[in-house]
Amino acid sequence: MKMRCCFQRSFCSASSSLVPVQLPSPMETHFWYVLPDQVKSVSLLNQYMGLLSPIEKENVLSMPGHQLQKRALLARALVRTTIARYQINGHVDPRSLKFKKNIHGKPEVVWQSEDGWCQPHLHFNISHSSSMIACGVTSNSRIGIDVEEKQRKIKNNILAFARRYFSLHEIEYLSSISDSEVQHQEFIKLWTLKEAYVKALGKGFSAAPFKTFTIHVKTDYKRSFVLAEDLLFEASEIMVESLNDPKSLTSSWQFALLELVGSHYAAICMEKDKSIKVGMKVPVRLTAWKTIPFVEDECVSGTDAVIPIGGLIKL
Amino acid sequence: MAAAAGSSVSMRVRPCLYANRISSLKSFSLPNQRSFLSFRVRPVPTRLRVSCAAKPETVEKVCAIVKKQLALSPETVVTGESKFLALGADSLDTVEIVMGLEEEFDISVEEESAQSIATVQDAADLIEKLVEKKSA
Repeated sequence: MKMRCCFQRSFCSASSSLVPVQLPSPMETHFWYVLPDQVKSVSLLNQYMGLLSPIEKENVLSMPGHQLQKRALLARALVRTTIARYQINGHVDPRSLKFKKNIHGKPEVVWQSEDGWCQPHLHFNISHSSSMIACGVTSNSRIGIDVEEKQRKIKNNILAFARRYFSLHEIEYLSSISDSEVQHQEFIKLWTLKEAYVKALGKGFSAAPFKTFTIHVKTDYKRSFVLAEDLLFEASEIMVESLNDPKSLTSSWQFALLELVGSHYAAICMEKDKSIKVGMKVPVRLTAWKTIPFVEDECVSGTDAVIPIGGLIKL
Repeated sequence: MAAAAGSSVSMRVRPCLYANRISSLKSFSLPNQRSFLSFRVRPVPTRLRVSCAAKPETVEKVCAIVKKQLALSPETVVTGESKFLALGADSLDTVEIVMGLEEEFDISVEEESAQSIATVQDAADLIEKLVEKKSA
C-alpha cells in the first residue's frame, strides 16, 4: 500500500479543501515538507496568510525581509493545513485550530472538546532550514524533528564546537574522522539527532543540555530488503544515553535519520509505543509527503527524495 | 529624549562596574529612568534587578556578530530588542553566535545561560556580567 502511494499524485485546485489523511498508526510518523522555492504564487501566499491567527500574522510580518517572512508564513500554514487533514471530528478548518505552548514552551494543539469526546492524541513538531519546512505527526507518541541543509556552513571550527557542546563520546567520534567533508556531514547528522531528541522531550533545552546525553550510532549492519509490500531499511541502530541518569528510560526513544531531496538531513525522534518490550527492535514506520498545501501533495516515501541513512525504518 | 538618555548613560556606566560592591547604586542602572524617585515607586522587572543594562558599545558588538552569523544584509536593523529567532536564527545559529561572543569577549557562557538568551540585549547583559566577574 505504501509503495503504491508513491505513484499517486493528487492534484487539487487552490479552491478545494485539503486531501484528508488517516491518523498515523502506532510507531508511525507522517512527515510533511514544503520547499519554499516552489511556492511563488502571491495569491497562494495570501491564501495561507488568511489561515493565520492575528498574533501569527503579526509575528510573520515582524520578520525582517521577504524571505524570512515567507518562511515564517509557510511554517504556520504547513502546521495548520497538515493538522487539519486529519479530520478527526469531521471537517476541520485550518483557520480554526488553536495552539498553545506547554509549560516548557513546546507548541501543542488545543482541541475543542465537543460533548466530552476523547481528545485526539495527535502530536506534531516542526522544523525548518532556509530551503525546507517540515512537520512530523504521530498519534499517541511524543515527537521531535530537525532538518538541516547538508551543506550548511559552520562558522566555528567543528571540533571546537563539539568540545564546547557535545558529549565526550561524540567528540571522540568526530575527532576520529580525518576527511573534513565527512566530518562536517557527521557533525550535521549528530546535531539533527540531538535537536530532534530535545524537541521530542518537549522540556526545553535546559532540561537536556547537549553535553548531558550521547547519541550512539551502531553501524554493524547496513541492509535493506523488501518485506511484503514494505521496504525495511536497517541503516544503523541509533540510541540515546543520558549521562546524568543512566537508568532513565532513554531506551523508550526511537530515531530515524533521512537524507531528503539530496540536500537535507532530517532526524526524527519518537517515543516508542508503551506496549513494546524494552530491548525489542521495532522499526519507525514512515510515510513522507512533499506538499504545497491546497495545490499538490506527493507521497515521496520509497522514492529517491527520501533516503533512510540511520536507524531502523520501514517505508 | 536621545540627549537625556545620552547624559544618563555616562552616569550609568561607572556605577554599573561597581554594582557588586555598592549595591545601592544598582538603582542608577535602569534604562529609561527619568528620576530616581520614580524608580522607587515603580515595580522593577526581574531581569533588571539582577543585571545592569550593558554599554551601548557591547550591544553594538553583539549586533555585528549576530549580523555576520546570520548573514543579514547591511540594511537590516538589529537593535538590543531584536530577538534572535525573529531575525531568522535557528538553534544552531544561536549556539554559534554564543561561541562567537565567547571568542570576541574572552568569556565562557554556561549552556543554561546560553539558552536563556533571547534578545541581543540579553546577550550583551550576560557578556558584561561575565566580563565583570572575570576582572573582579
